[in-house]
Amino acid sequence: MYLALREIRFAKTRYVMIVMIMLLISFLVLFVTGLAKGLAYANASSVKNMAASHFVLQKDSDHRFGRSQLTEEALTTARTVVGDDKATPLNLRMATVTEKGMSLKSDVTLFAIDMTGWLAPKVVEGQGIANDTQGQVLVDRKLKESGIQVGSTLIDQMTGASWTVSGFVANESYSHTPSVFMNEQDWLKLQSFTPVSGQDSSDKTYNAIALKASEDQLAQLRAKLPDSDIISKSDTVSAVPGYKEEQGSLLMMIAFLYIISAMVLAVFFFVITIQKIGQFGILKAIGAKTGYLARNVIGQVLLLSIGSLAVSLGLIRLMYEALPASMPFQLDSSTILLSCSLFIITAVLGSLLSVYKVARTDALDAIGRTAA
Amino acid sequence: MKPMLKIDEVTRTFHDGDSEITVLNKLSLQVGAGELVAVMGPSGSGKSTFLSIAGALLTPTSGEVAIDGVSLSGMGSHELAELRLKRIGFIFQSANLIPYLKVKEQLLLVAQLAGMPSGEASKRAAALLDRMGLKQRQNYYPDKLSGGEKQRVAIARAWMNSPAVLFADEPTASLDAERGQDVVRMIAEEVKAEGKAAVMVTHDERVLPLCDRVLYLKNGALVEA
Repeated sequence: MYLALREIRFAKTRYVMIVMIMLLISFLVLFVTGLAKGLAYANASSVKNMAASHFVLQKDSDHRFGRSQLTEEALTTARTVVGDDKATPLNLRMATVTEKGMSLKSDVTLFAIDMTGWLAPKVVEGQGIANDTQGQVLVDRKLKESGIQVGSTLIDQMTGASWTVSGFVANESYSHTPSVFMNEQDWLKLQSFTPVSGQDSSDKTYNAIALKASEDQLAQLRAKLPDSDIISKSDTVSAVPGYKEEQGSLLMMIAFLYIISAMVLAVFFFVITIQKIGQFGILKAIGAKTGYLARNVIGQVLLLSIGSLAVSLGLIRLMYEALPASMPFQLDSSTILLSCSLFIITAVLGSLLSVYKVARTDALDAIGRTAA
Repeated sequence: MKPMLKIDEVTRTFHDGDSEITVLNKLSLQVGAGELVAVMGPSGSGKSTFLSIAGALLTPTSGEVAIDGVSLSGMGSHELAELRLKRIGFIFQSANLIPYLKVKEQLLLVAQLAGMPSGEASKRAAALLDRMGLKQRQNYYPDKLSGGEKQRVAIARAWMNSPAVLFADEPTASLDAERGQDVVRMIAEEVKAEGKAAVMVTHDERVLPLCDRVLYLKNGALVEA
């Protein structure tokens, strides 16, 4: 590192410019990663927040809650296998609601859950609801922006059913729509507005059953419920409508940013290394070993990339403070750690071309440049 | 007395297409301690090849080179680099200093490469720079030095690890007559003071009086003037 540090000290402008470019790229990498994570969370936070390990869905429902329909027997079976308190039913439906007396419409996802069970969300404002309250719902805080408050009345556009907002919950959404939670009783009432022909509307059906189960229990359950799919929570999340598509394009952007940063660094350091070939020849003639010179090249790259990462982490922090709440952004420490190590690895990979050039430099170049 | 540099019947051939060119033909040379030898010869006579082989940068086709009693034959590139670092000093045509190191750091770098303790290295660098009249310049970058000063730094760098043999490749080529004289005098003085051997390839006849022996490279071998 003796040479690496002194060279940076000597050619400050050159290295400041390189650091600037690396800074911008690493900032972009971290920012887009944070945005992707934020969008992922905002997209399906209701499912992500559920304390379940697995979900039971109907076979051939493509892992989608909305397409799945399970009977009460399935719930009973699940409960006998994993225990009464480890399996809880779940219903959902997309809906458009209007606040009474207003014309503004909002798309929401209605969830019906056991309000005393472990799927019940935490109320951050107003009152919670019980399983026997009537016409009361908990709604996601985002609906506040549409002017909805505790005590507001929501009307379902399709059925005309109406509920009073009892309280707000935080970070609950499904397919980018705010979630609305109600108890089973209100759900059955809603179902009776839209009867399915040939089916008694008093028959209880569920979209899914949330489980907290061990691998052993899952195997048993799979045998007992042949007409169902039992999938993990993360599979369910990626099956949320729009989730995979959204994450796919963001992931592609991130992947390209890594490739671009590797290329930019490779080209920069290669050009700088080529300019220094003469010096490397001299150093080798004097007796410096290739390993020593290679360590200096890689050390320099590491120093610059770690330095620029540190600065861009600071910038991300500032940016995070300044971002509006409507722009979802999430960067936990494990993601930061992963992104940073990936960035450093690509930087080092980019410098390997230079290391190769250094290794190929011949000490003989130093002697008799003009003589034969 | 044991010679510091012993070259024994060294031959070096190059392939040029189908034909084979013999650059050095059974060249022999012995240089003892405290001796400065000048090697002259027209362009293309093989001076660079001679210097590269003697300086452990190039392996001869046949024959043997020994530095301070250690034969180079059979050494790997790693061992040769180690030997160049500790037993051989090089002075190149244009000083070839590292542009981003200050004068004193140029010397400290080679000491560090050789694993010299930093306290000792600092003391030795200061003493060498003082002898070369560069005390006032030790915190300058090479681009702020004159040609003669740069070459003096190169000499100090070559002596830093107390090599057994010093090789100089036309050290006066980029200097005017007076500076050239100074530089060669300094090499000669160090050779005498430290009891080392030095071989200088040169075109510059004005510096020959400072050398103990003058040899000419003719037909791939060294002959006395």
